[in-house]
Amino acid sequence: MFSPAVLGQVLINGISLSAIYILVSLGFTLLFGIMRVVNFAHGAMAMLGGYALYYIYGEANLPYLIAMPLAAASVAALALVLERLVYRWFYQKMFQSMIGLLGLDMALVYSAVIIWGPHERSIPSPIDTVYRLGPLFLSGSKLVVIGLAAVTLAAFYLFTHFTKYGLAMRAAAQDVETAEVQGINTDRIYMLAFFIAIFMAAMAGGFFAQNYILSPFMGERQLMMAFIAVILGGMGSIPGVALGGLILGMAESILGTYFGSTTSVFVTFGAVIVLLIVRPWGLLGIPENR
Amino acid sequence: MSDFLTVDGLSRHFGGVKAVNDLSFTVKEGEILGVIGPNGAGKTTSINLVSGVAKPDQGKVVFAGGAVTGKAPHLLARMGLVRTFQATTVFPERSVHENVLRGTYLSRYPGFFAAFFNTPRARKLAAESEALAHEVLEWLGLETVAWDPAGSLPYGYQKTLNMAIALAAKPRLIMLDEPVAGLSAEETDHVRDTILKVRDRGITVAVVDHNMRFISGLCDRVVVINQGSRLAEGTPKEVLSNPAVVEAYLGKSHAAAYGQ
Amino acid sequence: MKTITADNMAASQKQPHKADEGSTRQLRIKLVLGLGLLAIFIILPFLGLSGFTLSLATTILITGIATTSLHMIIRMGHVSLAHGVFMGLGAYAAVLSVVKFGLPFPIAMIFAFLAPAALALVIGPMLLRLSGKYFVLVTFLLGEIIRLVFVNWQSFTGGSNGIFGIPLPYEGLADPVAFYYMTLIAALLCIGFVARMLQSDIGRIIDTIREDSRLAECAGIPVLRMKVTVFVIACGLAGIAGGISGFFIRYIDPTSFSIVQSLNFVVMNIVGGMFQLAGPIVGTLFFVILPEFLRGYVELQRVIFGVCLIVVMAFLPTGIVGLAAYIRHQLSRWFK
Ligand SMILES: Nc1ncnc2c1ncn2[C@@H]1O[C@H](COP(=O)(O)OP(=O)(O)OP(=O)(O)O)[C@@H](O)[C@H]1O
Ligand SMILES: [Mg+2]
Repeated sequence: MFSPAVLGQVLINGISLSAIYILVSLGFTLLFGIMRVVNFAHGAMAMLGGYALYYIYGEANLPYLIAMPLAAASVAALALVLERLVYRWFYQKMFQSMIGLLGLDMALVYSAVIIWGPHERSIPSPIDTVYRLGPLFLSGSKLVVIGLAAVTLAAFYLFTHFTKYGLAMRAAAQDVETAEVQGINTDRIYMLAFFIAIFMAAMAGGFFAQNYILSPFMGERQLMMAFIAVILGGMGSIPGVALGGLILGMAESILGTYFGSTTSVFVTFGAVIVLLIVRPWGLLGIPENR
Repeated sequence: MSDFLTVDGLSRHFGGVKAVNDLSFTVKEGEILGVIGPNGAGKTTSINLVSGVAKPDQGKVVFAGGAVTGKAPHLLARMGLVRTFQATTVFPERSVHENVLRGTYLSRYPGFFAAFFNTPRARKLAAESEALAHEVLEWLGLETVAWDPAGSLPYGYQKTLNMAIALAAKPRLIMLDEPVAGLSAEETDHVRDTILKVRDRGITVAVVDHNMRFISGLCDRVVVINQGSRLAEGTPKEVLSNPAVVEAYLGKSHAAAYGQ
Repeated sequence: MKTITADNMAASQKQPHKADEGSTRQLRIKLVLGLGLLAIFIILPFLGLSGFTLSLATTILITGIATTSLHMIIRMGHVSLAHGVFMGLGAYAAVLSVVKFGLPFPIAMIFAFLAPAALALVIGPMLLRLSGKYFVLVTFLLGEIIRLVFVNWQSFTGGSNGIFGIPLPYEGLADPVAFYYMTLIAALLCIGFVARMLQSDIGRIIDTIREDSRLAECAGIPVLRMKVTVFVIACGLAGIAGGISGFFIRYIDPTSFSIVQSLNFVVMNIVGGMFQLAGPIVGTLFFVILPEFLRGYVELQRVIFGVCLIVVMAFLPTGIVGLAAYIRHQLSRWFK
């Protein structure tokens, strides 16, 4: 049961799940930090990413390394339209955004059911090979997820730490008003943050669809996990999200393998509820006034 | 006059900021105590700690002979300790009358079942609190605007309403956080007269403010807070001629000039 | 426009000048409309409608109990995403009382109230400390956990298959008209209870807490205790709705009380209007009847629900009721 082979499997699964959760929750927390919107439709965006990949890679057979970013970018582009139509009404209005975007989530998910039907689909994996490394068996498709996620996260890090717009974006996430006073064009920052956030969510959705399932309802789980990761780490804290996603992915993989998925959900949710009650600002967040 | 409120060694730190640090002072029954200090000195935090809005890390608060450290605000209000907030806090969408009525909760609410069934006792209390609200409105000169939404009032009226809500709770000690910030000279005088009237009713007052003219024309005693601790204490005159106080307010060079 | 947090939702309630005390005229209008609605519900079975319409009316009444009880929680500034689950708890408590323990129906209904109320009493003091967004999240997770309990406690709850073949409490209730009237009486009692509470000083306290809980506390209001009291009652009432629905549909399973159901109740409250009791009533009528015009297009219904939510949250924070009041206000200005 605790053989190196199983442990290795658990580790790889855990890391690839963590990568997916981090991608989803990073965008989620970015939107919250900058625009103060609680994007309940984030999971739906991930779901759309799954369908985009299904068509661009699964049907149109474009090379994977082109198809994946293209799928994510096309969803992000669609999201920019939604930004103009829906999101902009909710900027800096946390409560309304929460409920209004719950509505957007509903509308998107059930539109997907109307268009694609409720049944589950699958997307072929770019690499079916299983690599062997000593006693470990490494599934190629999981390695692809880990690799591409790592590249994206590294790009995100570099962008937000070394480019003008990235720095402005981070400044805005810290404190919008000050950023505005310092002459940062918040409109453009909003659009940029929005594109990046949805790009990452859609990419995570693609990964998830490929490794697990693709269905209109798959986003619920993504959303829930993003939420939990964000709460774990602390709302608005970017390193917190990375930590939260990691804890969550590993916990799910380990608890799920050894104790079953129900126990895994019980333990995770239970722990998060307790955390929320004693330390609502999360592990790395900053407490609000009081 | 006996000590009505005793604050002893109170501390509260936010991360590295020692907002309140080993602060001690007393309020005597029936007096008007002024609390002054430069921006960020920890005045609001002290009021928060005393009124239960925030919990102290260390220290003791004794009110009317009983230890009340860390008690919840509503329990303190029930004991007669009520405070106002620095940023004007009223219910902006509601009428002035309704605002004050909400302040009368302590003497009005008859308990869940009595309220639900509107028992004779509930009706009697409601009538009494209605009268109390009316009295407070008249007292503070708000009856002319009683039916206007509180949010539509000029700033000075809102500050007064702020006090009216607190007074409706029938306090024995009222703590006012910057009641005249942003008011004109005329409005400030009006608030001063009101506070004097409040004291004449036997209510003890602790008032935080920056306005020296206001504080010295009003208070019996003044406590100066700087960087979370007590810097000086005495009559307004004594305190204002204390070089350490002037220095804290104006910086060293000014203090030197002032001393000569 | 001002930012509205769940802790301070009242900010968007634009009251017409001098009208916050609910002028007697407004009250009278509401009373007349309410009594009119009640009259329609009383005579409904005599209108020679189909059995289907009657069952729809019964559903409206049951849903009405759930949404109006949720309304009390929302009025305190907390949006609960666990209300459907509390309703489910009541349903399981009532049905199991009868099926497993052979208790009489009235006792079962008492348990339908007590089970969710007891849970609310235990967790309320912890949950209701949380500010708006965290409360939403915790109730969301809590709902999932309780649902998992329903699914996994196979021996007791029948797992995901649920419990079917639930017997009728009384022979007489086999007649849909009789069941309808029983539900009507229950709804009248429950909604009447909520209305009375909100009309009394308790309602004033609830509004005070939502609009500024810090100021409320400094005025001596025991905010947390008040919140817990209201939360317990609201969850208990949801349980009664659940109990009745169990015996009405005669089948319960975890999916009927999932997050989707909780969300529906929230939607009805918000689209109807979240600051007045009329809101959830209008919302319930709207969202139970509207889908009947879209039968067979379940997905389209949900898309429309979603769009309604967006539009209401973006442009109409006071919901349909608020819109109606606004239109009335404008009209009366024109014709004067
Ligand atoms: N919730 C908080 N978190 C972190 N720091 C705080 C908090 N509240 C107060 N502080 C800090 O504590 C110090 C004292 O603040 P406080 O508001 O008590 O000052 P004050 O004397 O009332 O100032 P002012 O005259 O500007 O009202 C300040 O440096 C402030 O930044
Ligand atoms: Mg202050």
